[in-house]
Amino acid sequence: MPDLNTWLLISPELILTVFGLLIIVIDLVGREKSHAVLPWVAILGFILAIATIPYLAQDQTIFAGMYAIDKFAFFFKAIGAIGGILTVLISIDFLRTRTPAKGDFYLLLTFAVLATMMMASSTSLLMIYLSIEFLSYMSYLLAGFLREDKKSNEAAIKYFLYGAVTSALMLYGLSLLYGISGSLNLADLTKQFAASSDLSVKALGIVSFTLLLAGFGFKISAVPFHQWAPDVYEGAPTPVVAFLSVGSKAAGFALLLRVALTAFPTFHAEWIALLSVVAMMTMTLGNLVALQQTNVKRLLAYSSIAQAGYMLIGVIAANVSGASPFMGLNGVLIYLAAYLFTNLGAFVIVVAIENATGAVEIPEYAGLVKRAPLLAALFVVFFLSLAGIPPTVGFIGKFFVFGAALREGFLLLAAVGVINSVISVFYYFSIIRAAFFEEPKDATLIRVPGVMTASVAICAALVLLLAVFPQSLIDLAGMGMGMFGIARP
Amino acid sequence: MFNYLSLLIALPLIGAIVLLFVPRANDRVVRWVAFITTLVTFAISVALFASFRATADMQFVERVAWIPQLGISYYIGVDGLSILLVVLTTFLMIIAIGGSWNGITERVREYHVLFLLLESAIIGVFVSLDLFLFYVFWEFTLIPMAFLIGIWGHGRRIYAAIKFILFTMLGSTLMLVAILVLVFAQRDASGALSFALTDILKTPVPIALQGILFAAFALAFAIKVPMFPFHTWLPDAHTEAPTAGSVILAAILLKMGTYGYVRFAMPLFPQATEQFTPLIATLSVIGIIYAALVAMVQEDVKKLVAYSSVAHLGFVMLGVFALNQQGVAGGMLQMLNHGISTGALFLIVGFIYERRHTRLITDFGGLSKQMPIFATVFMIVTLSSIGLPGTNGFVGEFLVLVGAYESHLRWYTVIATSGVILSAVYMLWMFQRVMFGELSNPKNQVLKDLNAREIVIMVPLIVMIFVMGLYPKPFIDRMVPAIDKMILISKTKQQVASVPAMPAMPAMPHAEPMTVTPAAEEK
Amino acid sequence: MIPLQYFLLLGAAMFCLGLYGALARRNAIAILIGIELMLNAVNINLVAFWRYIKPANPAFELAGQVFALFVITLAAAEAGIGLALVIAIYRSRDTVNVEDVNLMKW
Repeated sequence: MPDLNTWLLISPELILTVFGLLIIVIDLVGREKSHAVLPWVAILGFILAIATIPYLAQDQTIFAGMYAIDKFAFFFKAIGAIGGILTVLISIDFLRTRTPAKGDFYLLLTFAVLATMMMASSTSLLMIYLSIEFLSYMSYLLAGFLREDKKSNEAAIKYFLYGAVTSALMLYGLSLLYGISGSLNLADLTKQFAASSDLSVKALGIVSFTLLLAGFGFKISAVPFHQWAPDVYEGAPTPVVAFLSVGSKAAGFALLLRVALTAFPTFHAEWIALLSVVAMMTMTLGNLVALQQTNVKRLLAYSSIAQAGYMLIGVIAANVSGASPFMGLNGVLIYLAAYLFTNLGAFVIVVAIENATGAVEIPEYAGLVKRAPLLAALFVVFFLSLAGIPPTVGFIGKFFVFGAALREGFLLLAAVGVINSVISVFYYFSIIRAAFFEEPKDATLIRVPGVMTASVAICAALVLLLAVFPQSLIDLAGMGMGMFGIARP
Repeated sequence: MFNYLSLLIALPLIGAIVLLFVPRANDRVVRWVAFITTLVTFAISVALFASFRATADMQFVERVAWIPQLGISYYIGVDGLSILLVVLTTFLMIIAIGGSWNGITERVREYHVLFLLLESAIIGVFVSLDLFLFYVFWEFTLIPMAFLIGIWGHGRRIYAAIKFILFTMLGSTLMLVAILVLVFAQRDASGALSFALTDILKTPVPIALQGILFAAFALAFAIKVPMFPFHTWLPDAHTEAPTAGSVILAAILLKMGTYGYVRFAMPLFPQATEQFTPLIATLSVIGIIYAALVAMVQEDVKKLVAYSSVAHLGFVMLGVFALNQQGVAGGMLQMLNHGISTGALFLIVGFIYERRHTRLITDFGGLSKQMPIFATVFMIVTLSSIGLPGTNGFVGEFLVLVGAYESHLRWYTVIATSGVILSAVYMLWMFQRVMFGELSNPKNQVLKDLNAREIVIMVPLIVMIFVMGLYPKPFIDRMVPAIDKMILISKTKQQVASVPAMPAMPAMPHAEPMTVTPAAEEK
Repeated sequence: MIPLQYFLLLGAAMFCLGLYGALARRNAIAILIGIELMLNAVNINLVAFWRYIKPANPAFELAGQVFALFVITLAAAEAGIGLALVIAIYRSRDTVNVEDVNLMKW
């Protein structure tokens, strides 16, 4: 039985579990009126979970080495929880008119964040499988949460079918890895790979990494496991999409980084080749298809696919020797943090506009600047950040990622990335163009609830401030490298 | 020492923030706040200019670690190459704000906010001594300008705005990659990661890398200048931009390109500069002739002026790449002259456009009878643009041609000289068609002459045209030391490179004077 | 004793069958069955490995069995969620054919 200290180490997870259950209880026991408190209960849970993080003793593994307590995991746990807070903030208004079942929503969301936290800490095959599936199940339900809405249904079933197939592929890979080492821990696997010169072990390793990539690629929406993204983004409730686009993606990257860098260092050359192809396809396909989109949510889906491609560059260029500040890995972490605020901010605006007017098509955004000047202006900030134009934090992220690629000599990747980021300006600009340069068909002002305005303003402020003062973010990302001290025994 | 340069960058920014709190409907207040902001900024820049010492050192240097992990610092300062451009910027900003006093009636507040942001960013570009900082400012000039074109422009404004963004983005993204590669190469050579220009200049860039890095920088700058095959965004942007936008675009934004060559591309990559000089000179000469010929057949006055910009900037490039004192000084001076004359020309086009809502040459004719003051002003500016002796254009063009003729670019110069004649042809022909002849069009017979506000705007420009034409010494004096140093850096290394056995820099006797360690840095 | 390879081949064959079913079928229920088949193939792998491989780390002596149990449990949960979603789709548009579920570009 784990001792008290072990329980303390997983207090963020425990807090979220307790708060999730608390939400059900309030939902069941409380009257209709008390349901207004549910989102704030969830937010309180997230805040408490984040608040415990700095006090936890770090750099150890618990539960027989199956669960890592390190700064790398904490970084992703914080990202997940912050994503959770912002998602709740935009959900309040979104759900009000659409569904009576609010308690379930916040429960699912809280558990989804819990799942991302577990993914960030997983160091064993079993935990990887369980946490990914946990997150997937929560996401399927959230995507289909609007039961009366045909698009939401459709999004959920498509998401589910893609997800189930890719996770089965991943599971097969996990079973092969178990077969190689006889152990569930990534650390044992690393030793086994290093010790064995057997060709069949090597072949199995490559095959299973490819299979694992199906599961991770599904979560981060990398080509060719991205097909769910456009439909889910279009059909699922927009706050859910906002969460999936950052929380789920970040957790996917956490796992990919941990597995690739700690379990497969012996296959460095092989997985770099594999991921390079995936990254280039992901960026290029995402950007090219995004050019043709007219639905803002679909456009953001392809944009998010493309962004995954840029982040993959950082994974490929990961260099953990610490010789250069461009380590690739810290680029990914910075990029993810940047993407968290940027993309969520953009989604808050999309939700606000969708709520007020029902508009999700780009032509419907015409003249937005006259109807909602603040939102339109902040939209520009987020799109600049997504396109990686200074002075926004998205630029800092791209700077680190491309810098790492150049530093490590991945010139082709860097070139493809750069060309793609120029292409991306086209379609980001298409929204700005509609919002600013075209005349509105209907000039009524758009009313935005205070919570939304506040959350979008916070996101925008962070996007700008983190660009002007990026030192702390860079330091945090640098600390996230701590995992390499313990993962290699 | 007080941080004057930072103040210069911050003031417009503060002005923009203040504007955000001015009630939307209060256009008058908005205009005055913006105007006063630019006026104060200008006053400070003039004070800087007055206390600027004619040495080769960087002055008013500020250096604060910004992202220490990467060796990026907030590192700014001015020398003879940049101080005048800073003053030009602050000067023309006042003119631009004044020039849009009546022309802009919609979303006045946003318009001025964007203008002030733009001013801040442009000043930032001219004073940055850290490549990262430079890139950030460089990119940031793009956004306000695109919005100015896209929202307040005319006709195909959206097309023009997108074209402007894409062209410049393409170049600048390449430049970012080049900056990174450059910094990494310098780190491997010197052991310290730093984005500061002065640190990077301490170690020569590996010759193998120079060509490709120069190409990337040069492309970004060439698009901005714009040089011949990359100029196609310019006529669109100019024609569709609002008057003040065209003024700033032509007078200042284009100078960022030429300034980039002088400040970064040439000193950083001397060998590559030498290799690429024939190509760039060829493109400049083609640009001069081609733009002049195209300008000749334009029916839109504004397009004509836009193409004349391409031709003028061709002269600037020719002078700069002559790499001797007259040539570079002429190029730098021509940058200022072009800023003033072309800015004035765009304003003039704006005046008649506001009155007649057309810019077609054929719609006019005989205006001089109806608008004598306007005709005089237009004449002076036209002559300055042609480069008549006594006006500023003459001094710059003359120095460029003399410098380039004496350099290895002699034959290019001979061809380029025909551009001078061509420019006289198309400008005067345009002037004649617009101002002289029959005042046949009834709409033109009721045109009002320039009003007091318009005259007040034009007077400083005309004064500058003559001051710089008759007594350019104070400007040139302040430039020359910095120009000499820049030529030294860009040339000594070329000679060194031709001695193959010579290893790295430190052993070189003349390495010391080149390294830019200004006294002002120590406060 | 039957060699390990036989089990692995059985697992691989079952996995491929399931994958084929999941990709080729258009009926959502059939796809679900395909997915179940894939998961069970994994279970065969896991249990077979457990039987034949002696782990270096004694903490994982039962790992294969435990893993298989988890997979069985999660497969049940997955089927539950999947069927719930299929029912929702069936209610809203009277079909379980995924090709007909095409409000959005597939």
